[in-house]
Amino acid sequence: MNQAQVTLSVRQPRPTVGVIDVRGDLTAFAEDLLMDAYKEATTNGARNIVLNFEGLEYMNSSGIGLLVTLLIRANRHKQKLLACGLSDHYVRIFELTRLNEAIGMYARESYALAALPE
Amino acid sequence: MAVQGRNWSSFLRRRKRVERPAPSIIAPQSRPADTTELQIAPDDPIIAYFQHSSGAVDIEHLKLDSPALEAMRAASVRLVVPLVSQGELIGLLNLGPRLSQQEYSTDDRALLNNLATQTAPAVRVAQLVRQKQVEDQARERIDQELRVARHIQQTLLPKRLPQFPGWQLGAHYQPARAVGGDFYDFLELSDGRLGLVVGDVTDKGVPAALVMASTRSVLRAAASRLESPGVVLGRVNDLVHPDVPPNMFITCMYAILNPVNGNLVYANAGHDLPFHRHGSSVVELHARGMPLGLMPGMEYEENMTVLAPGDGVLFYSDGLVEAHNSRRQMFSFGRLQRLIAEHKETDAPLVPYLLHELERFTGPGWEQEDDITLVTLQRSEEVMAAGLARHEHDDKTSDTGRVLLTQFTIPSEAGNERIAMRQVADAVRQLELPPERVEKLKTAVAEATMNAMEHGNKFQPEVPVTVRVYASHAALSVGITDQGGAPPDMGARAQKPDIEAKLANLQTARGWGLFLIENMVDELHVTSGEHTHTVELVLKLTGGNDGDDPA
Repeated sequence: MNQAQVTLSVRQPRPTVGVIDVRGDLTAFAEDLLMDAYKEATTNGARNIVLNFEGLEYMNSSGIGLLVTLLIRANRHKQKLLACGLSDHYVRIFELTRLNEAIGMYARESYALAALPE
Repeated sequence: MAVQGRNWSSFLRRRKRVERPAPSIIAPQSRPADTTELQIAPDDPIIAYFQHSSGAVDIEHLKLDSPALEAMRAASVRLVVPLVSQGELIGLLNLGPRLSQQEYSTDDRALLNNLATQTAPAVRVAQLVRQKQVEDQARERIDQELRVARHIQQTLLPKRLPQFPGWQLGAHYQPARAVGGDFYDFLELSDGRLGLVVGDVTDKGVPAALVMASTRSVLRAAASRLESPGVVLGRVNDLVHPDVPPNMFITCMYAILNPVNGNLVYANAGHDLPFHRHGSSVVELHARGMPLGLMPGMEYEENMTVLAPGDGVLFYSDGLVEAHNSRRQMFSFGRLQRLIAEHKETDAPLVPYLLHELERFTGPGWEQEDDITLVTLQRSEEVMAAGLARHEHDDKTSDTGRVLLTQFTIPSEAGNERIAMRQVADAVRQLELPPERVEKLKTAVAEATMNAMEHGNKFQPEVPVTVRVYASHAALSVGITDQGGAPPDMGARAQKPDIEAKLANLQTARGWGLFLIENMVDELHVTSGEHTHTVELVLKLTGGNDGDDPA
């Protein structure tokens, strides 16, 4: 159990957008991987990061803390953070924590991409 | 004076009760020591003749159509002296011709008659002693077999009734003298449910007891796999079928009670249908299925009912409904159904009430024909109290109407909260909660477990976190206990996480755990002992909100 049960992969569907696919558990173990993925997603100057949570199995309060950290970094670099594919349960948690006010939330990746400028 | 005859003979044998004795004679042979036993048929007219004759009978000129008479003549019997005791012919003294070749004299006859008069009672006594010895031996054999059968049976019946808060169980087993094959069993399943079995093997004595024993074992093994009653009976049937002797089979009712929500799922292998009482109505719980052991590959219909507070179910065997009174009337299903409807639990429990009614029906001196088995399941009227934390101090958990669904410990290693989450989810599956409530509970359990492992047990793997899951009619409670005692500083709890403060670096990015827990459950109770610290998560199951309000 004591290792990251998560895989994070980065895609760039458009030059301005980096998509991070989160599969598995977003917990404290995912910290390094998530920060690496963030760097990779923004290397080419993409200013929009979409976190695709369709493959998310479990996120705990540490995972939420990681998202807050990521959000702080993105804000610092004037980047925009979006999320898609969250289950109803985690949508509810985003609302409870008011993360939804800082991270744009979309049901599907295509909706998130459509909301971003070309 | 001696009577010199060639030989004597012997006695009519008494057999058991109903059968007429098949008398025999021992016919004279050439030397006194040689005797031949001749049987006299019970309907031979010579028996009546001898019974009513007074004294020695010279058979040479006797005119009777009697095979025994022919046999005696063929064996050279000349004189027969009947031995009569209390009007009953019990034997004959048979004499051949006198060795002197002279006829038997009057004195000889008087002597023989005198001898017969004195011998008859002694012979009778000897016969009775012998008969008693034979009967004693037979009874001892039967008693020994009954003892074995009864021992097998009573060893395998439950020694105690399971305790399920909010439920009353009752059981009564009353063997008939011959010991039938009734059995009942309670199976406390690993998922917190209760299996109830009532069965009857069609036979008596040791063979029935052995079949009952093997059926019980197979059923226990099959039930432990937590399969549904119909599947279990199908499996048991296939397993016992090869070993059940021809002409023997087993009727069996198997039901599984979920003590938390009152769901009763049941299947029936040809057993008497249980009665379910709800209010003033009493209905039979129907489910189709062949008795066990008749043929393999049978399918068993499965049905479900819900036992509301105050409801009761009676499982029973045919010894009760088929009991006869002195007028050969049967107790009957209809009478049983009516009695259950009339019965008030407040007066007396159902079992003694029914036994009293049975006694009234059969009257005194009734000889029980078959085993009587009664198993009752009664749900309490009162609604269970919610708010389980209030009972932490008196620890009278068995009085609070809650059931322990599961209890386990996990080592304090980061990531192990997933184990707690999964096991709690497994344990509450039987409650059939809405999926979103289960997700919330899982999140709360995970967060509380993480806190316990990290803050309470300092991530020392050898120091365990204990998780206990209780359910009652009104609430689900998950207690998560670490070994850290009271936390030194509860101040962290006071600071509500705020996303804006966090983004402005006024709060750490972390610190969401307790906030999440509070919003996932209906109640949160924290108790600390000297060495332990327990967080109790409560979900209300009736009447409460579902924790959806984040205010």
